[in-house]
Amino acid sequence: MTEQPPEPFPAPGPEAATGPVPDLAWRRLDARMLLIHPLETLVRALPAVLAIFLARAGSDSDERWELIAVPVILALGALRWVTTRYRIQGGQIELRRGWLNKQTTTARLDKVRTVDLTAKIYHRVLGLAKVEISTGSSAKERLVLDSLRVEQGRRLRAELLHRVDRAVTARPAPTGRPVDAAVLGTAAAPREGGDVELLRLDPAWVRYAPLTLTGLASAAAIVGVASQGLRTVGDESDTIRSGARWVSELEWWTDLLLVLVVVSALAVIAYVLTFWGFRLTRNQLGSLHTRRGLLTKRETSIDHARVRGIRFDEPLGLRLAGGRRLKVVTTGLLHEHGGSDWLCPPAPAAVVTGLARAIVPDEDAVAGRLQQHGPAARRRRLTRTLAPTLVLLVALTAATLAWGWPPAVVAPLPILLLAAVALARDRYAGLGHRVTPGHLVAREGSLDRRRVVLDRSGIIGWKVEQSFFQRRAGVATLVATTAAGQQHYDLVDLPLERAYAVIAEVSPDLLAEFQPSLPEGPGAIDSCRDQPLDSST
Amino acid sequence: MDLPDQQALREPSQRVSPRAVRMWTVEALFVVAWLVAGMVAWWFLDTGSRDAQWVVGSILLVVSVGYVAIMPRWRFRVHRWEATSYAIYTQTGWIKQERRIAPLSRVQTVDLERGPVAQLFKLASVTVTTASAAGPVKVHGLELAVAEELVEGLTAAAVAEKGDAT
Repeated sequence: MTEQPPEPFPAPGPEAATGPVPDLAWRRLDARMLLIHPLETLVRALPAVLAIFLARAGSDSDERWELIAVPVILALGALRWVTTRYRIQGGQIELRRGWLNKQTTTARLDKVRTVDLTAKIYHRVLGLAKVEISTGSSAKERLVLDSLRVEQGRRLRAELLHRVDRAVTARPAPTGRPVDAAVLGTAAAPREGGDVELLRLDPAWVRYAPLTLTGLASAAAIVGVASQGLRTVGDESDTIRSGARWVSELEWWTDLLLVLVVVSALAVIAYVLTFWGFRLTRNQLGSLHTRRGLLTKRETSIDHARVRGIRFDEPLGLRLAGGRRLKVVTTGLLHEHGGSDWLCPPAPAAVVTGLARAIVPDEDAVAGRLQQHGPAARRRRLTRTLAPTLVLLVALTAATLAWGWPPAVVAPLPILLLAAVALARDRYAGLGHRVTPGHLVAREGSLDRRRVVLDRSGIIGWKVEQSFFQRRAGVATLVATTAAGQQHYDLVDLPLERAYAVIAEVSPDLLAEFQPSLPEGPGAIDSCRDQPLDSST
Repeated sequence: MDLPDQQALREPSQRVSPRAVRMWTVEALFVVAWLVAGMVAWWFLDTGSRDAQWVVGSILLVVSVGYVAIMPRWRFRVHRWEATSYAIYTQTGWIKQERRIAPLSRVQTVDLERGPVAQLFKLASVTVTTASAAGPVKVHGLELAVAEELVEGLTAAAVAEKGDAT
């Protein structure tokens, strides 16, 4: 009962016969992918190739047995091209692969949630792009076409996303009729003119790059790759040795400064590589569309019917510098699929808030003041940061007294204690929620503060959790479950009665049934059909 | 706050089967059996640290007896459920407790499950999943007949709904 049976589309009936023939025919990947595959293999095998090359340089042998690999790789690529075909028919997209082990993947068009176009640098040289079609939130529910011509990919995307558009079919997707590709193919392909540009990257925003953990993580990744590269060159190189000696002779604060400069520079490079040319547009049907990347270009299209809200991220560093970033909360994006949910890279808060207003026209939800969670929540924030710090303090003091540890280990603890109090206060300041006519807003965290603006209609269930200590304090964690984004968004340490008040406000009839005083009646059942929780738009 | 009448939520109306207490006791005994097996192994393999073993063993004994004696009864007092024509509402847990409400319009699958211990006591559990990966609604320790009836009712209600429930 999860899936409804496919609607009887008038597949190869009379309508289809008058419709465009290419819609039914099998299509192939672009022939230029024949070059991509060997190239990718070569890049992947580069260390091995280098090793062979170096080994050969020393010997006089004329044997070139490794060249056998070349025709094999070429043949594999050709086989992939010959055996991979896809088509759109009967409201489904079908992908066939394999030669001995044939695989057919089928996805219903009304399940298509996002379409990603990725063009690595060698794709771009050839004018190609990899198309990834996501139909659910797991990696299995993904169709990958590697590669199509960029225009071909964009056309496919238009076909996929727009034929299921509710504005076009006038009914929720499963009951709507598909729209001819010929009508949409050219008319609805994302053209520069028809789209509204919501955001364009300002190069000055690069200054926020070193302030986020993502920036630092990518800096670490670059260091990792670079050190591996250095190892192939050999650590015996004189430049590296003298460099290392020079660094180790410096004062400690110069070293620290040096590390900061290097890490910042790497974070900036990562920011530029990821977000260069970032552009967010919205087409006339409401789909959001992002483009980004310096070397590898990525385009993501998000069907507006799948969007359930937005999320502001304000990590501490970014917040202190007056910046934030914006992500979309949508069904069908992979959690692990790095960053296709970006709506705005780290940027000045005013810019991000303005963008959020354009996407979610609900001023109170986007920028309104939030209701705080009260004294019990504040106490719990304090105990949670202070208790571990005090345990550490006692343990270390005992260790110095009992085993004569150097007193220096206890010295930084008062500072740690102050930091714990500050953290607790900031975490409490971050805690808040608000219910607006269209949205539920939840904010939490200090080091990784997030403000989630969730569509009321995207909430598909509630949980009220109480641990032993929460019961004693009279508070509860209210969890709104959803099919989008993180799958659940939590309102932490809400007074119990306020938690139920929030449920009552967002889905009144759901709760009304389980209230002691109100009698149930057939009227309640009927009216529930019209409530936000029950509509799936 | 501004909704004085609607703040409280009563408990779900149905209790689970009283036999669930025995089922949870047996399940708790299995958990304890593993711990005891580990303890016995330690006792025979390591003959050098009897003092530590006495301390750990007695703590284990107290915790185990407490767990087997208290957990099933506490859980039985907490566990409750209720299904209406458009929502399912449960209350579960013991030390950590939670209430879940899901409208049937968002239900995707309904599963009936009978583990070996549950079969012994002619009990079953029902799992109701929604489109969200967080929080399937589970009811443990139901009489088999009650569980089957619940599954039937939920399935009928959920089939009546259109859309992909996201």
